[in-house]
Amino acid sequence: MSTADCLIELGTEELPPRSLKTLSQSFAELTRRALEDCGLTPSSVQVFATPRRLAMLLRDVPTRQSDRLVVKRGPALAVAFDAEGKPSKAALGFAKSCGVSFDALTQKATDKGSWLYFEKSEAGLGLRQILPGVVSTALTRLPIPKRMRWGTRSDEFVRPVKWLLMMIGSEPVDAEILGVRGGAVSYGHRFHAPGEISITRATDYESLLRTKGWVVADFDLRKSIIRDLVEENAGKLGGIVQIEEPLLDEVTALVEYPVAVCGAFDEEFLDIPQEALVMTMQDNQKYFAVFDQTGKLMPHFIAIANIDSRHPEVVVAGNERVIRPRFSDAGFFYRQDQKQPLAKLLPRLDAVVFQEQLGSLGDKTRRITGLAIYIASRLGADEDQVRRAAELCKCDLMTGMVGEFPKLQGVMGRYYARHDHEPEKVSNAIEQHYWPRFAGDELPQSDVAQCLALADRLDSLIGIFAIGEKPSGVKDPFALRRAALAVVRILVEKSLPLDLGDLCAMARQGLAHKIDASSVETEVIDYIFGRLRTYYQEQEINFDIVDAVVVDKPSVLRDCDRKIQALNQFQSNTAALALAAANKRIVNILKKQKLDPSAEVNPSRFELAAEKQLFEQLNTLRARVEPMFDEGQYLQGLNELAGLRPAVDQFFDEVMVMVDDESLKNNRLALLQQLFRCFRQVADFSRIQSK
Amino acid sequence: MSDQAADDVSTFQDIIRTLQNYWSEQGCVIMQPLDMEVGAGTFHPATFLRAIGPEPWRTAYVQPSRRPSDGRYGDNPNRLQHYFQFQVLIKPSPDDFQNLYLGSLEQLGFDTLVHDVRFVEDNWEAPTLGAWGLGWEVWLNGMEVSQFTYFQQVGGVECSPVSGEITYGIERLAMNIQGVDSIYDLIWTRGPQGIVTYGDIYHQNEVEQSSYNFELADSAELFHWFDVCEQQGQILIDKKLPLPAYEQVIKASHTFNLLDARHAISVTERQRFILRVRTLSRGVARAYLESREALGFPLLAPEARS
Repeated sequence: MSTADCLIELGTEELPPRSLKTLSQSFAELTRRALEDCGLTPSSVQVFATPRRLAMLLRDVPTRQSDRLVVKRGPALAVAFDAEGKPSKAALGFAKSCGVSFDALTQKATDKGSWLYFEKSEAGLGLRQILPGVVSTALTRLPIPKRMRWGTRSDEFVRPVKWLLMMIGSEPVDAEILGVRGGAVSYGHRFHAPGEISITRATDYESLLRTKGWVVADFDLRKSIIRDLVEENAGKLGGIVQIEEPLLDEVTALVEYPVAVCGAFDEEFLDIPQEALVMTMQDNQKYFAVFDQTGKLMPHFIAIANIDSRHPEVVVAGNERVIRPRFSDAGFFYRQDQKQPLAKLLPRLDAVVFQEQLGSLGDKTRRITGLAIYIASRLGADEDQVRRAAELCKCDLMTGMVGEFPKLQGVMGRYYARHDHEPEKVSNAIEQHYWPRFAGDELPQSDVAQCLALADRLDSLIGIFAIGEKPSGVKDPFALRRAALAVVRILVEKSLPLDLGDLCAMARQGLAHKIDASSVETEVIDYIFGRLRTYYQEQEINFDIVDAVVVDKPSVLRDCDRKIQALNQFQSNTAALALAAANKRIVNILKKQKLDPSAEVNPSRFELAAEKQLFEQLNTLRARVEPMFDEGQYLQGLNELAGLRPAVDQFFDEVMVMVDDESLKNNRLALLQQLFRCFRQVADFSRIQSK
Repeated sequence: MSDQAADDVSTFQDIIRTLQNYWSEQGCVIMQPLDMEVGAGTFHPATFLRAIGPEPWRTAYVQPSRRPSDGRYGDNPNRLQHYFQFQVLIKPSPDDFQNLYLGSLEQLGFDTLVHDVRFVEDNWEAPTLGAWGLGWEVWLNGMEVSQFTYFQQVGGVECSPVSGEITYGIERLAMNIQGVDSIYDLIWTRGPQGIVTYGDIYHQNEVEQSSYNFELADSAELFHWFDVCEQQGQILIDKKLPLPAYEQVIKASHTFNLLDARHAISVTERQRFILRVRTLSRGVARAYLESREALGFPLLAPEARS
């Protein structure tokens, strides 16, 4: 089979940086899959992506499909002929649908019957014929949130399309896609190499673009070059950078030829909270901020330009000029905000709508305060501090700084509260009640912050569910998924002795004068348990283990977690699987019987030693493990129970449960029920899968 | 890009003249600024209305723009409630639109092998105009100096063909060219009496207008005026007079901006006001399209008209 390397490049006006990677990968994957469906599977695919191009190199693609036999089954022979032995209507219709006369059909007998068949050998198509269709279909299927039109054309794409490079080996493929004709010509960097670059062979693409085009086409390579540039320059400044992946990806998607630019700003700006400066540099300007060894911001930044400027100092000066007014503005707001204490802003929250039915931010603050104080009372946290922190926690939303930098909510609250000499725990709680802000983020540290964080999330969950806006599909405008996961993480990882049902009931009561949320309480709890399952899935704890515990919805998540962790560790015990199997067997037996759930075991009715032995061992162990279970030492308890295995095995080997003697049978069933319930204190063992 | 030598652009008015000449050479109708208060060059009927319908159109003009909330009493060197945009609209958007733009930068003396020029995704939406488009902000050494947009919808009407819009922030370009850090220090021109700065001309205006916008604008009267504009606009739409109707949209929109600067509109109310202006804009856009159609789309080439 002959194969060839195949190159596809779509040149465009500048693509959206945050979706560039996804676009290029989807384009390659959709193309590869479509070729595979045609029987033309490439041996590998290399993806290229720059602001002005989506490209891929497909290696060793078969240049022609193999011929194939098309087989269609028609009517059964029994109905293929009429009484006179002539082809029936059905048979003629089938021939017609295949585009042949009846004589061209064949007959075949199989062990299931005999039918009319149509068989045809179909010649395979060449890659050259197939490729344009494949590429054009892939482009229409790209995940583009907003497509656009341009000029007089009706085609739609992410941005206007400028050129198409499509070649097999060293031969261009002639086709028109999105208004441009395919050829063997690419274009380099917009300013350094604006002319045509002829690509001689598909495999030369990357190196030709690099040497003649001033373009590093490979996204990951460009990314690593930028990472090195940034680190090297930070080192020269005597500082370090904390490179965040999303920023690095975005910067990589904004340049074809990365060049580092080091700039500086006046040291006096360092009086402004450094979070605001970093945000200005990163979010607005896509600069990398430089820190000293102690984590303090240095008055420097590193930008990545897309040009090897003839006068780099001009680029530096320009970039420095941009951030100066931005920093000045931040400094202005910071000084203005400090002119009045944070607490003075509290009444103004009444004028800001949180959600139409759920009231203002002032209403929400009052609800958070009530609920947080209740949680504090359960945890023994300082209620005065919790009250104060709760009252202040949304006030910074009214400051100029947060108006300008919405992402600094909480952070500015902490700065201003500290400036107002609020207790340290209170100031920190204002910031930390928003934690965790994203997957894997830190959790609120103090009990005060935890009270606030839980109260805020639970109020939103219950309230938003009550107004019928629970998340569905990708729609989650109030970020409730994240809120529910935050509740899970705080309760579990901070090991808080709180009852989820109780918390939700309190949140519902807090909302009572706005909305009746009684009907959604269970739904919210189920939703949180749903998040809990994902939470363990991400920790790679097997689904059946989680299921075996969560099935009972143990509403103290701390306890739930201990059970899951214990059960997970218990799986390494050799008796674990056997006991799970025994439990499954018990459940199956009990399911078919109408046993009184309160049935007691009567030792005097034992007839066999195995019964007696199991009963006695179970009772001895129960006395020993129950205090362990009460204290949450589930693993220890389970390891003790593992000692039951021989007795359980022997019981099932020697004792016939389903005997005719009703009372004897019920006594044995009662014993099994007792055994099952003993394990059930930790989990429903029958749900654990044998591997 | 351009074979012409760069112009002398050392003053603010040189920049305007250079841009006007450049776009005039690209076949643009050089319009004069709209004589009404608008927030951006897009509001000029030469953009908003001309972007609607099939007729080709090329225009360029300066538009003084007002954003009452951005006033800083002349204290902030970078924020003004009254500033200047240079606006270009070409319909249908030409294939070499980006290059035409880059040519204008060269004409202003920006060597693209010295300056880091980039097109950074920035999608545009004007809720009061029922308009949106996709495009970029153009960065010059990290500073946003222009907006570049392919209109997809205007006044709720799908754009076909698509118009390409460029909006230059003239002050930003000038600061870059003149190397100054305050708008007020920009040299507007050099005359026999010496240098006249931007501040000489506009600083007092910033101080006084900020007082008006933030402290003295009469909210009750403005609310009333907004209602009047809305009513008038609707009546004019019904009478098939889209051009005067559109002026009511502009007035309502500016009135809304003044109320906003006075913090007279709550967050929830805000959305409702925006919707009221948008409803008018949509009415105007439809009426305008119908009126052009009734005239037989006079700017269409004869063969395209039939």
